[in-house]
Amino acid sequence: MKRMLKAVALALLVLFATSAAFAAPSAKTAPVTLLLLGNKPTNGRIEAALAEINKLLGPRIGAELKVQYIEWADWQNQYQLALASGDSNIDLVITATDWLFAREIARKGGFYPLTPDLIKANAPKTWAEVSPAHWDLCTENGKIWFIPEDQYSQYTNHGVYWRLDWGKQGGVSTVKNFADLEKYFDAVKKNHPEAFPWDVSGKESSFGQILYGYLQSSIPAQTILGCSTGNHGIFWYNTKDPYTVVSPFMDGKELLDAVQTFDRWAKKGFWREDVLNYQGQTREEMYDGLSGADQHHTQTYVTQTRPQMDKRQPGSELQFYYFGMENKNVNKDLMTHGAMAVNAASKNVPLALKVYELLRNDKQIYMLFNYGIEGVDYVMKSGNVLDRPAGWDVTKQSLDSNFWGGRMDAFEPLNAQHWADKNKLYAELNAFAKEYPLEKFAFNNTKVAAEMAAIGDVCSTYMPAFAYGKTGDPVKAVNDFRAALKKAGYDKVKAEIQAQLTAFKTATKK
Amino acid sequence: MKPLPGTNRGFFKELSHSRTLILMCLPAILFFIVFCYIPMPGAYIAFTDFKYNQGIFGSRFVGFENFRFLIISGKLWQLTRNTILYNVAFIVLGNILQIFVAILLNEVRLKWFKKIAQSVMFLPYFISAVLVGFLSFSILNYDYGFIPNLFKALGAEAPKFYSNPRVWPLIIVLVNLWQTTGYGSIVYFAAIMGIDPTIYEAAEIDGAHAIQRIWYIILPSLKNTVAVLILFSIGGILKGNFGLFYNVVGNGNPILQPTTDIIETFVYRALMNQFNFSSSAAAGLYQSVVGFAIVMTANWIVKRIEPEYALF
Repeated sequence: MKRMLKAVALALLVLFATSAAFAAPSAKTAPVTLLLLGNKPTNGRIEAALAEINKLLGPRIGAELKVQYIEWADWQNQYQLALASGDSNIDLVITATDWLFAREIARKGGFYPLTPDLIKANAPKTWAEVSPAHWDLCTENGKIWFIPEDQYSQYTNHGVYWRLDWGKQGGVSTVKNFADLEKYFDAVKKNHPEAFPWDVSGKESSFGQILYGYLQSSIPAQTILGCSTGNHGIFWYNTKDPYTVVSPFMDGKELLDAVQTFDRWAKKGFWREDVLNYQGQTREEMYDGLSGADQHHTQTYVTQTRPQMDKRQPGSELQFYYFGMENKNVNKDLMTHGAMAVNAASKNVPLALKVYELLRNDKQIYMLFNYGIEGVDYVMKSGNVLDRPAGWDVTKQSLDSNFWGGRMDAFEPLNAQHWADKNKLYAELNAFAKEYPLEKFAFNNTKVAAEMAAIGDVCSTYMPAFAYGKTGDPVKAVNDFRAALKKAGYDKVKAEIQAQLTAFKTATKK
Repeated sequence: MKPLPGTNRGFFKELSHSRTLILMCLPAILFFIVFCYIPMPGAYIAFTDFKYNQGIFGSRFVGFENFRFLIISGKLWQLTRNTILYNVAFIVLGNILQIFVAILLNEVRLKWFKKIAQSVMFLPYFISAVLVGFLSFSILNYDYGFIPNLFKALGAEAPKFYSNPRVWPLIIVLVNLWQTTGYGSIVYFAAIMGIDPTIYEAAEIDGAHAIQRIWYIILPSLKNTVAVLILFSIGGILKGNFGLFYNVVGNGNPILQPTTDIIETFVYRALMNQFNFSSSAAAGLYQSVVGFAIVMTANWIVKRIEPEYALF
């Protein structure tokens, strides 16, 4: 027994000694943790890339980059919790004003207030390449709250992906509006009993993007960002007069049109009867030929769904009908659709900015972090074309560094894995897509927070049912919804937004 | 009541005398301190305009402002009603069924059958609510579900469970009973086993048949156990079985909410949809305060009727 104890003690001693020896080099470097969104990959590729990056970061600025993922399950809430918890281990935070609540979190004190001097001292290249107008978009109360990803072009406007081969079987060769989409779904329903025209899942349906798409395609108006009630943005601006609050959810006949359309689609069986409870993976089903459609944005189409479908359903020629195609009502991405903030609780603010500077502006580190190790994760071909090594499988070997807060067009290679004709689609969108006119407008909800919470509850009760034809009588449902909105304080909130928007207009015109 | 041994000794003597008992209680005591008492001051968040960098106690005090949305949303009554009615159904039906099963088990003479029956009924308790959700979806969903397919095969119109809020109270209560009956009956079964066998012998000599034995001996002996178990359950009457409701009903289906929304699912949804920690905490606090009032009232009533059965 004594001998065994001795052996255990010796083993522990050796363990401590070796771990101390291994830990020694990192004593000179300080960790900087980047909070990302995405499912943590388990294939070891991100760790391999980080090891290479840290070989460069250590000697140059004495930092060691780490990443922490907010997984997609309940991400909205987990993201806010991570910042609310005051965890000082998080330094850099991927954020966005349109989908990651950057302005709200800044106001709630989740981000570290940056100053021009602090940025100039630690991230001089970044400071120089972002224009004063773009810095202004990130400024509130005299402080800079995040750094915009403003040197990267992409489109994240939503729409529906559909298969040209299945469409042609029913005589549908273009989808340019919701009527065409209905014809396409009819064709799939008729010719492909093995598949649902759109096997949409409850996760997707809980938001009801298709309902927003219908309205966007019907009227010249768009959502005002930053004054959403929970997940739902029911206050819109007219694209001809951005300073007037309108709401197709309260006024006009378009909402009823939409609800009646989706009610008809549900009755035709375009999706499951129990769509609101179904938890399947729509995109995977589309790849397997079990769903005739999927819903997401342009960037996903050109980088993922189109190339994947070409591989897995050859000849499918997946198409993209984007919302607003028929009435040319599409907005360009915001300058702050991607951004980087520093966590308020960070203890390494200057170092975090130094790390960001290199992630964004050092080509070698940029490529390592976004694409991995050359020869293993990617290969370069002539003409600055990035390709993957033979046998590389996106579903197994993907790096998933999801650096959505500082990508640079200047460093981005052409990508052999993307849809070859993506520039045609970009050109089409560039021809008419508008800038979002209220990017700087930051709504302060203090006076109407309770009403907005109540409206949010009304929305999450009605919207999914509207979007998937689950309301019963559409006329009654729309009337009930509008009455419930009024009861929850719709008029008060609208008046408050209008007052702040008018004040914003006056301030902007000065 | 007989005084417990050592009640008139000093505190430390008592401590050393009961050290084994206290040691055995320690995990439970620690559990409650760490997960119930230490976080309790955090409920203050419900009264603040919570700012991430100022923390719960540094944020501005706003009084009952965060509770206002509960009232404006007009759901308070529906939520409280649903939560209480479901729990009453769970408690009443659950206990009746558990006692019934315990008595049946007691009457079974075949040992191997008794063991197998017990295990089979016990099993559902250990199935995670997530799996129960999947199971019920595959039984109930209209397109491929077992029951609707049965209807379709018979040429009848298949029921649309997920579009009909009225059937859900029945489904949820059934699922709950299926999950808890086996487990709950163990306690009653143990209580029955504890009944003095001489009473049975005396009854047998007096010529009592099985029904009379159950009615006059077993049921009265279970009175104490029933009272304690019911009091315990009443304590949680405002606490819904979140896992069950969230997984079986589904979070994304608002059609079923009128009959299935309980306080906990509402709090969860409010948090998920609003990311507002303060107003979610306000709803949680409402639940706790009303629950506390119900326990105190129930205990007070029991004390008036039969002081020995009261919890405290």
